[in-house]
Amino acid sequence: MIRLELVTVRAGAFTLRDISIEVPAGGYALLIGPTGAGKTTLLETIAGHQAPLTGRVWLHGEEVTALPPERRAVGFVYQDHLLFPHLSVAENIGYGLGGRTTDNERRTLELAELLGIAHLLGREIARLSGGERQRVALARALAPRPSVLLLDEPFASLDPATRNGLRRSLLELQRRERVTILQVSHDFDEALRLGDLVAVMADGGILQQGPPEEVFRRPNSAFVAQFTGAGNVLAGEVSALGVAEEDGRFLARFTSGPLALDVVAERTGPCHAVLRPEDLLVSREPLPAGRNHLTATIERLERVGPVTYIHCDVGRPVVATVTTQGAEGMALTPGDRVSLTIKATAVLLV
Amino acid sequence: MPPRATATRLLIAGTSALLMLFIVGPLLRLVLEAGPMSLGRAFADGEVRASILLTLGCATAATLLGLLLGLPLAWALARRHFPGKRLVQGLVDLPVVVPHPVAGIALLLFLGRRSALGGTLAELGLEIVNHVPGIVAAMAFVSIPILVSGAREAFLGVDPRLEKVARTLGDAPMTAFRRVTLPLARRGIIAASLLAWARAVSEFGAVVILTYNPKVASVLIFDRFTTDGLPGALPAALALLLVALGVFLVVRLLQRGEGR
Repeated sequence: MIRLELVTVRAGAFTLRDISIEVPAGGYALLIGPTGAGKTTLLETIAGHQAPLTGRVWLHGEEVTALPPERRAVGFVYQDHLLFPHLSVAENIGYGLGGRTTDNERRTLELAELLGIAHLLGREIARLSGGERQRVALARALAPRPSVLLLDEPFASLDPATRNGLRRSLLELQRRERVTILQVSHDFDEALRLGDLVAVMADGGILQQGPPEEVFRRPNSAFVAQFTGAGNVLAGEVSALGVAEEDGRFLARFTSGPLALDVVAERTGPCHAVLRPEDLLVSREPLPAGRNHLTATIERLERVGPVTYIHCDVGRPVVATVTTQGAEGMALTPGDRVSLTIKATAVLLV
Repeated sequence: MPPRATATRLLIAGTSALLMLFIVGPLLRLVLEAGPMSLGRAFADGEVRASILLTLGCATAATLLGLLLGLPLAWALARRHFPGKRLVQGLVDLPVVVPHPVAGIALLLFLGRRSALGGTLAELGLEIVNHVPGIVAAMAFVSIPILVSGAREAFLGVDPRLEKVARTLGDAPMTAFRRVTLPLARRGIIAASLLAWARAVSEFGAVVILTYNPKVASVLIFDRFTTDGLPGALPAALALLLVALGVFLVVRLLQRGEGR
């Protein structure tokens, strides 16, 4: 378990402000955000390398705010693996095990086998590939059986095939070792794929946290919407069309330049509308269903496997997705005029 | 190859050859002038043997003293931010710009019997001026800056996050230093120590003022030169040159062998 309560940390000119987050025991959480958001500083605070000015840190049920790193039972893996170059692979993995005993050698071999690097145990670090190095770093961090594993963009410098292989190994090891993981990433897809919890960070604070699906579906700000890949985030203004119902919501109009959409709102005034690409229905003629019909000109088609991204102009650039089969069925080409339909309830106001 | 590139290469080769000649030429001339027979005469001379042994011993002591006092400072300068860090760095480098006879005079005033420190040390039985500790002090004064700067660079070359990783793997700060930082900085520290040692061996200006007797090799050579002229100084000069070069080469070779 990892729990931070209103933690503020100053690292040089940078400040991490009022961070509160809780990852349950055995959970897998991701910290995502742009460069300079404070993700690594937060991991280093949990590991004990940075001392908080205020706030408290708990690990596995025990308050560790004042404990040094060596007494926190935390494993740490950096993006650039940081293996000890003067030691062999086996010596790196066994570093935290405290001496060469039969049990320690067995543990080293066990992790090496699980990560597919048993054949490299006698090798020098300089002769390893990037993927092999990251596997060794992971084995080294897990060897002393930490209850918490902190990963700082561990897959960022790997090619896609190696990355996927290592992700599978990591998930298997997490289940096996029952370790709580907090991983830094700048990739929201990774959060959807791996995480039970995601926290979006920017400028030293957490903007939103929750299950990845919820953060993806209901971003609480334009920044989170953009960062989680919402596709279309439009700045504009909401004006009321109807009276508020019992739940406080009312039918309204969102305008952004020449674009006007019927939406369900909770308040009027300036805001952002999020139109998820998959919620924009593409057709040659306006569909009977749906409250908003936008006439769009296709600018570019981008095929990514079974999905085709349609970049169009509706007075503003927007992106919609259809299946590649559907795009081929409609024989869509750049320059075509199509209709985009979106339900008023599918327009998310943040 | 374009003519400009060829001209640049020729210019670099020409200036480098001139520099090599400037370094090797005088030393080679000294060896040829002294001749191989004079080396035998030098080593048969008890005073020359004693002065060379004294020089090597004192230079080694000065280097060890530098390691003992300088390594913690070098580490702090590489790793820590503290008030006055730039001032401390400047003070450490100061002996490099002080002319060595001036350094000798300053040390004489600071460590002589009439000074508070020198007087106290003498009362405790540790005579500095005109004794072996005086030679070590003079050598340490001129060589420690080289050692501290080199060791600081060596520590800077080790990623501090490696120590952080070691800490999360259970090491206390000193253990992480011993198991990770020191082994990784070792080659740089040895190289810096070797340079400092060589600087100590070659020291004359500060030593001659602080401790004329017993004579280290450089003082003995100067003494023979002023009393017996060039023929008197040459054998001892050749002996010191070869011994210093020999030690230097052996340590370098050992270091290279270890790096493989």
